[in-house]
Amino acid sequence: MPATPVYIICSPRPQVGKTLIARLLSEFLLLKNGRVASFDINLKEPSLLEYLPDITETADVIDTYGKMQLMDRLIVDDGLSKVIDLGFHAFDEFFKMSEEIGFLKEAARRNVAPVILFVADVDRNSSRSHEMLKQQIPAGHLIVVDNEHVVRGELPPALSRGRLLRVTALPTFLKTYIDRLTFSFTGYLRQEKDSSTELHQWIRRNYFMFRELELNLILQRS
Amino acid sequence: MAAKPAVVVVGADKGGVGKTTVSRTLLDYFSANNVQTRAFDTESPRGTLKRFHPDITEIVDMTTTSDQMKIFDTLNAVSPSVTVIDVRAGLLSPALASLRDIGFLDAARSGQITFAVFHILGPSIASLDEIAETANFMSGAKYFLVKNFINDTQFFQWDQATYNSYFHRIKDATDLTIPKLNEMAYEQVEVASVPFLKFVANKGPHEEAANYSFVLRGYVRHWLANVWSEFDRIKLTDIVGAGKPVVRNTEK
Repeated sequence: MPATPVYIICSPRPQVGKTLIARLLSEFLLLKNGRVASFDINLKEPSLLEYLPDITETADVIDTYGKMQLMDRLIVDDGLSKVIDLGFHAFDEFFKMSEEIGFLKEAARRNVAPVILFVADVDRNSSRSHEMLKQQIPAGHLIVVDNEHVVRGELPPALSRGRLLRVTALPTFLKTYIDRLTFSFTGYLRQEKDSSTELHQWIRRNYFMFRELELNLILQRS
Repeated sequence: MAAKPAVVVVGADKGGVGKTTVSRTLLDYFSANNVQTRAFDTESPRGTLKRFHPDITEIVDMTTTSDQMKIFDTLNAVSPSVTVIDVRAGLLSPALASLRDIGFLDAARSGQITFAVFHILGPSIASLDEIAETANFMSGAKYFLVKNFINDTQFFQWDQATYNSYFHRIKDATDLTIPKLNEMAYEQVEVASVPFLKFVANKGPHEEAANYSFVLRGYVRHWLANVWSEFDRIKLTDIVGAGKPVVRNTEK
């Protein structure tokens, strides 16, 4: 039986595109599987919840009760893919707790496959945090997201050595378009008849990338 | 297996410093290291330790001669090699005085019995006075001063020199630190009334599958591993004659 994937989209930095990746991935999984559970862990300003209120719930890792509410669900092998939009405020606490309670080891025991999507930035804090994650997370489970809109082709070499997902930048007017709260990527694919538009291709490229990611996950465990 | 019987006394003259918690970690530690152990809970007639380890714990009243006989006259006669005694608050000094009076401390001094005392310290100056008082009985015993942070106690912040002056009075005393355990995790183990090990393994009192929170079990596992690394540091299994510690599940 395939493992239950848990995608954790994270960065110690704000404004690097975590919620954009979480939206894309959530919509892809919803399209592919018909269901997905997304969690918005932005302590200050919930945002994934505003984009995808039907499939998203808020969670926090401030206190033990919040941690139990979240992690006790993430560790269940129920075949339901989960997406976590981990706000930069919660980054340190989440991974500290995760290390302490042995999340990755228990996940492996329970047929749950955590995939950490680390959204890169060019600053020193990002490199340091990535290094910390490398110590904690097996290589196959840690993937760097190279968001061209943020990194602008200057991904630090240390971050480009492992597995990478590249998200190309969109022109500003399209960026503004997809940032609208009512915008849906899958909805756009369904409504837009012209598949040659830049946005159409961009969404399809990213969905294809996520499909590859899922396939790799299955291959890794087989 | 121990060549000679070992007695481990856990006590303090002050209440609420975590004696029973430390006793519970000791019983779990010995169990994980395949050391046969029995325990006596002197919180007569109730007994908190017995609630967590009912199969190996007996409630006794250490002030009575009959119960003293029950513990000490059976040291050579029963198969468990280690006896853990959780001494009720306020009874540590009187208990040690009784042990001296019945010749137990002499037997420990002459090497017939292994005797270890885990003295759980409270945060107040009274605890430091306790150290001085208890130290008088410690010749021939392994003496451990346990700083128990489980209830977030702040130790000796007022004057490290005071602490050192007391601590250095006792030759060969070793200090041990019990780290803090997440409050909710601690409470859940209390409610479950199972040994820490069973909680980590997600089992109920009768080995049945339980449904404890994964997060809380994780916190307990992490904490227990830290406590046991302290016991490994003082070579506790060697002290009680059981050889080297085994590779344990919680550390895998």
